[in-house]
Amino acid sequence: MATYAEMQQVFEDIKDDFRYDHELNGCLNCGICTATCPSAQFYDYSPREIVQLLWTENVEQIYDAMQEKIWACAQCMTCAARCPFKNSPGGLVAIMREVAIKHGMQSAKDVLRPFGRVMLKLITTGNQLSPDMIQPDHFPDWGPNIQKVEGNLKTLRKAIPVKTLQTTDTAWEVSLKTSVEMYTIWEMTGVLDSLELMDENLFDVIDDFIDEKREEYEDWLEEQEEDDDD
Amino acid sequence: MSDKQKPGNHNTDAQGAGAGTMKPGFHNTDGQGVAGHGSMFQSTNLSPEEAVAATDWVRKHVDRRTIDLGERMDDVRDHMWELEKEGEIIVHRITDAHKPEIVQTLFGWDKKIPTTQLWHHKSCGQCGNIPGYPTSLMWFMNEFGYKPGVDYLDETDQTSCTAWNYHGSGIGNVESLAAVFLRNFHQAYVSGQRLGHDAGHFFPLVHCGTSYGNYKEIRKYLVESPELREKVKKILGKLGRLVDGKLVIPEEIIHYSEWVHVMRHRIANELQKIDVSNIRTTVHAACHYYKMVHEDAIYDPTVLGGNRTAPGTSIAQALGANVIDYSTWYDCCGFGFRHIISEREFTRSFTMDRKIKVVRQEANADVLLGIDTGCITTMDKNQWIGKSHGQDFSVPIMADVQFAALACGADPFKIVQLQWHASPCEEAVEKMGISWAESKKRFEEYLKEVEQGKIEYLYDPKLAVGG
Repeated sequence: MATYAEMQQVFEDIKDDFRYDHELNGCLNCGICTATCPSAQFYDYSPREIVQLLWTENVEQIYDAMQEKIWACAQCMTCAARCPFKNSPGGLVAIMREVAIKHGMQSAKDVLRPFGRVMLKLITTGNQLSPDMIQPDHFPDWGPNIQKVEGNLKTLRKAIPVKTLQTTDTAWEVSLKTSVEMYTIWEMTGVLDSLELMDENLFDVIDDFIDEKREEYEDWLEEQEEDDDD
Repeated sequence: MSDKQKPGNHNTDAQGAGAGTMKPGFHNTDGQGVAGHGSMFQSTNLSPEEAVAATDWVRKHVDRRTIDLGERMDDVRDHMWELEKEGEIIVHRITDAHKPEIVQTLFGWDKKIPTTQLWHHKSCGQCGNIPGYPTSLMWFMNEFGYKPGVDYLDETDQTSCTAWNYHGSGIGNVESLAAVFLRNFHQAYVSGQRLGHDAGHFFPLVHCGTSYGNYKEIRKYLVESPELREKVKKILGKLGRLVDGKLVIPEEIIHYSEWVHVMRHRIANELQKIDVSNIRTTVHAACHYYKMVHEDAIYDPTVLGGNRTAPGTSIAQALGANVIDYSTWYDCCGFGFRHIISEREFTRSFTMDRKIKVVRQEANADVLLGIDTGCITTMDKNQWIGKSHGQDFSVPIMADVQFAALACGADPFKIVQLQWHASPCEEAVEKMGISWAESKKRFEEYLKEVEQGKIEYLYDPKLAVGG
């Protein structure tokens, strides 16, 4: 159980985000946000409640909401489009999620676990998902008629008349240089540190992959230089 | 009548005005109240003409596009020009060469939509899952005689915006999102140079609704926050992605559906081959298109009365489809970013309850059109499972641009790539008078040629290699 001081620190970190003042301008408890919220229909979640907790600086309840509730938000931003105060409850949730990760909260770790494959794909290739991840085996609830033509995935992708889309392990072909640039972004913005805090095993796999790709890129650059010298 | 019930003096005490007025828990139980004329009613004795004049203000059309917002709403583009003047940034301009069309956004602000010299900024969900979306778009450009490498470019030097992951898992931050935005858009800015064009030749056309919303939000933060600019400048500098030591920020963020919107009359007048007036068409506008940075979304008085965002509906309307409204139009699709991956019960329940069932029961729709990756995936793939809860509803799901391509004679498989869809798209295709079985047979024959390396392309594959 967190101490009050720890909970206070969590709240301070939320407030310190420069977006906080954009996203929270006041609240009359009108509840329009909750009335339009898809998640409120299915979960014990209310954007109005989130805004009220932050507005009244209820640090204990804020901490409590970060254990589960904030992960119910679908991030559709309907609440933000509707709020008469121009609040963005969804935007506030995004800040709270970032802070949950920064503090290594268990709720964030639990949420991230099923995201492992997606995260690996995104960090290493710059693509969020790929055709080989969207196969019938992975989504039995999508039914037997998941696509209209049977056949080898590679052949079906080759039949897309756009060169960049003829891939199976990325959504489109991303050049190696581009992926390597992404690694620099992840490092310099602390994303890899967050990942290490959340899932050390996943981080190790990604870290090895990044080293490999960077070496591959260095080799390619050397080859280019040699070709130029010739 | 008591003195209390004179005109202008209605219900002035806490007891109400007598029979027929509304009391807590006893609403309108006597058949009068607000639904009828209560005891307080008095005729004004106005002539019909006077009555019309007296109530004119009620009928007056309040148009949000004429509202003077004063200081309540800032236009981020004004600040961009100031920053450019101060030497802080370079604005990637939409020039006459981009042949822009001017449209109006929510508050009546002008927005320039470039119609040519476009850099396709692809969507990970779209390319991975609904490839008929980008292919239909590029097919249209070819049909209009656009020259690949001159009038549009599709290349490998680009990444996802990474916002799907951010909204889903919380991993990432404003700095990483901003650096990705600036990296991709810098590439768009310089992409033409390898083909002999000037910097800025190609203007980015964003395929994904979430990328579009995210980029607009991040652009705002970049313009407002010198600290954020300073932080990402270091990153972009290290990547060699500054121009004269400055960040490049685009004049407008353009969604592909905005291109379709401004091209809709040309599509209908110059390319349409199939009458779609018999197609009962519903539209789901993507949340991240018009609920994020909502002041920048396109509204048009000729589309849904200007009360709802126009893209998606406008092309269906221009093609002459029978556009049908439904009560949950404003609802999200249920995608949820993390929910579609790890809270699937929410996603499929919401999409069935609030979208599929409603467009089927209320609108008896032949097709539900989307303008974004996530929505189309969600609504397309989660219909079959509804049967397990007794919700046996289905409706074909496709993007506006796929529907338009079909109406203009594009092949349902080779170009529109409907083979990747799970929803019963064959029903919509057949109703449009296109033989699904014959098209499928042709495509299966074509697959044999593909296996032998005989592949048809929309553009020379060599153009794709960038970076």
